Amino acid sequence: MNRNATLGRKIAVAVVLLIVLLPFLWLLQMSFRPNESIMAFPPQLLFSPTVEHYAALWDDAFRSSFVNSLLSASISTLLALTFGIPAAYSLSLWRGRRKHALGFWILVTRMAPPIAFTIPYFLVYRNLGLLDTVTGLVIIYTTFNLPLVIWMMQPFFEAVPGSLEEAALMDGARPARVFAEIILPMVVPGIAATAILCFLYAWNDFFFALILTRSDARTAPVAVVNFMNYEGWEWGKIAAGGSLVMAPVLVFSLAVRKYLVSGLTAGAVKG
Amino acid sequence: MSETISPIDRERRAFLRTALAPSLLVLVIIAGLPTIYLVATSLTPFSMVRPGSATDFSEPLRNYGFLAEDGRFLNSLWVQAKLSVYGVAAQVLLGMLLALLLHTRSTFIEVTRTFFLIPMVLPPIVVAVIWKLLYTPDISPLYHVAQLFDLTLPAMTSSVDYALTAIVIADTWEWFPFTFLMVLATLQTIPDEYSEAAVMDGAGRVQVFFHITLPFILPILIVSGLFRLIDSIKAFPLIFLLTQGGPGTVTEVTNFYAYILAFNNGEIGYSSAITVILVAIIITISWAATRAGTNRGGAT
Repeated sequence: MNRNATLGRKIAVAVVLLIVLLPFLWLLQMSFRPNESIMAFPPQLLFSPTVEHYAALWDDAFRSSFVNSLLSASISTLLALTFGIPAAYSLSLWRGRRKHALGFWILVTRMAPPIAFTIPYFLVYRNLGLLDTVTGLVIIYTTFNLPLVIWMMQPFFEAVPGSLEEAALMDGARPARVFAEIILPMVVPGIAATAILCFLYAWNDFFFALILTRSDARTAPVAVVNFMNYEGWEWGKIAAGGSLVMAPVLVFSLAVRKYLVSGLTAGAVKG
Repeated sequence: MSETISPIDRERRAFLRTALAPSLLVLVIIAGLPTIYLVATSLTPFSMVRPGSATDFSEPLRNYGFLAEDGRFLNSLWVQAKLSVYGVAAQVLLGMLLALLLHTRSTFIEVTRTFFLIPMVLPPIVVAVIWKLLYTPDISPLYHVAQLFDLTLPAMTSSVDYALTAIVIADTWEWFPFTFLMVLATLQTIPDEYSEAAVMDGAGRVQVFFHITLPFILPILIVSGLFRLIDSIKAFPLIFLLTQGGPGTVTEVTNFYAYILAFNNGEIGYSSAITVILVAIIITISWAATRAGTNRGGAT
């Protein structure tokens, strides 16, 4: 549409945006509200902001669950990248009918309901002693992150001109060196975007961590929910914990906005 | 295949195989084997309280036979169908309307686009916490505002009539940005000439929408709807936090029923059978989605 936006349309957009974001902003303001103000009746619109809930979380077991989330998400991202990047490169050069079938199964792995993997993993982890360990989480997060890397990296490799590679090979360079020294540096932006999405998916996980951890390896999303189960609901802590869990997500996902759609649809649709 | 493969080509192919093999091996171990294990477990009456039941294959299809008579399972499919249909329809419609509203040239509006994505990128459990705040009468601003106007809102999540609606609303808030993003991207590929020509011929806005815009975005509406449909089958955090499947089994979707069976009741075998059915449904829809996705020019 060539028309420029009218003032009416701009106002409409601003109003809709405000309505859409209100629930999110409500959580955010609540994390800064003193306890008396949260339960006050009649409700107070204004309050003097406090960081007491955040401070309480820092002294709490929540801190170690935050570390567990960081560890399991980053290690599984690294693992998925290490295996997935060479595989994606290989697949990007592969022509043939079986590639389509493989792509479909990779998509299914991403789409499967978490419980499909949780039941067998729970049973096996019980015997291997991997329940309630970060290692256990890293392995199960790799089930969805490895397919994501393989699928998301392919278009980036396809965009590298084939002539570069051929010329280097003709000059006698080994394929592994061509890959490491010529191809890889050209797909660094793709690797960055893929890494961020992998991290976010693992970070956002709730179901796997709920079932496969108890206390030692509990992740931040599960810890937030646990504030609801014991001795009255600590709404201030819940709001502050929720805000802490979403903070890295907001920063990173807006950075990879362009790739959100291809990440969510496992490459079946390009956004 | 040509008869003569140059040494360079041979070395290159060997390298490509070496690059792919470890990933395939890892996927077979961490995804393939567990899937086989799941199917095998679904053929046993395995229950946590009966040792030895894990390897009892005497009546392999027993669990699947139970399914047809299990009223709670059939109810969960029905709940799932309602949640998916209402949720996906609302997300596609709202996403499309918002995309139409934001499809215009303006720096201000282009900046707002990013902020509309926030609900979708939030961790699902944070979305559930947000709606828990809004649905808890004691502290919810919604209930306070209603009180100011002397209105009494029902306690949404514990009401038989409104619990599913409460989930649909929260799910729609979380995911309409996805359809919005997909539709907006497609709108931007429609050549201006089409609508300009139609306007020259005297077509009104409504006519332009139904005769030009809608046919253009219809495929993406279907594809994004299918993707949301697949995802809606996995709905968990919202139900876990807001209703626990209740009241009664009003919001108990199949995924949640399978969770309760396996991890509250210890009925691993039967839960696995239900999960196998869910995976089969998802494979079918994914297949349809990739077909629809590849049939669109330019996609995949």
